Amino acid sequence: MKLTVNGQDHEVDVEDDMPLLWVLRDELKISGVKYGCGIAQCGACTVHIDGQAVRSCQITASDVGSAPITTIEGLGTPEAQHAVQEAWIQHQVAQCGYCQSGQIMQAASFLEINDDPTDDDIDRVMSGNLCRCGTYPRIREAIKTAARTLREV
Amino acid sequence: MRELVFLMAMAVANTGLAAGETVAIKPPLPETVSREDGLGAWARIYEVTSHPRCANCHVGASDRPMWSGPSYGKTRPHGMNISAGESRIGVEFIPCATCHVTASGPVDNATPHAAPKVTADWQLAPVEADWFGKSSREICIQLRDPGRNGGRDMIDLASHLDHDVILHWAWSPGGGREPAPYSLQEHVNDILIWGVAGFPCGED
Repeated sequence: MKLTVNGQDHEVDVEDDMPLLWVLRDELKISGVKYGCGIAQCGACTVHIDGQAVRSCQITASDVGSAPITTIEGLGTPEAQHAVQEAWIQHQVAQCGYCQSGQIMQAASFLEINDDPTDDDIDRVMSGNLCRCGTYPRIREAIKTAARTLREV
Repeated sequence: MRELVFLMAMAVANTGLAAGETVAIKPPLPETVSREDGLGAWARIYEVTSHPRCANCHVGASDRPMWSGPSYGKTRPHGMNISAGESRIGVEFIPCATCHVTASGPVDNATPHAAPKVTADWQLAPVEADWFGKSSREICIQLRDPGRNGGRDMIDLASHLDHDVILHWAWSPGGGREPAPYSLQEHVNDILIWGVAGFPCGED
């Protein structure tokens, strides 16, 4: 089947019910997306499909269809970072970093629909992304900083 | 392929269902149904509407789905601070489809604790259909009121159950979750008995 990931077309030979997470990691060697729980409880595997945050452990390769997929590798580049990535560095959010690509992808998708979120808005959206290092206060501040940047664009 | 089409046609013919139908919608003759029959049917309908597979997403203006039932332990709001918003599909915060992705074909939802999915967009029921924790009489009066049931009569309610696949999931939830009682066909039959009896609710 054909998948479009980060603007690039890929032909993959996988079972229809293979979770997208494993297609990305094991078949396409795109390893920024992480395995955490496999049952949509942690958010580490979050990618964008058609711009919307989706847990890639829950959607099968065949369910994606022709919709474009974006992973953390396609959100921005070191030379042209996404506002959320810039804010993450500014606030030094990451500790161990394992959950951070999922956190960033969730936050970037959220800011597309709400670029002036309250603390409550952020908590409602980001509570599905777990961080065992407890970086939540820095995540919240980084999202506010990214929101300000996006409002000024 | 021709054999498959033939087998599917035979399967439909054997159940007496038309193409695209999952249940038979055959109201009983009025003279065969008493008020007591209607109240008995309602009692069974209430077992379904109050069951966690249905009631967990039939919540009111809180916009917060619930986790309750034998496989969930203590009754509590859906984890992850989920709020489906006024949209009832979560677009204001985190869409239901972030985890309850829309499947393109049949799924068995076999994995325990994973987010169940169907071939339709996951969502809460309309706020008017607030069933969680409500009494039999409260739900009965709501469900027979066209102003609060989507303008549906008896046939429309049965047809809704026939065609809305998210409702079908209640009887085949997978993952160790307890299904709603009876069967989809039995539930539709009870809706029709209750309707033909004049939608009686206790203490009318």
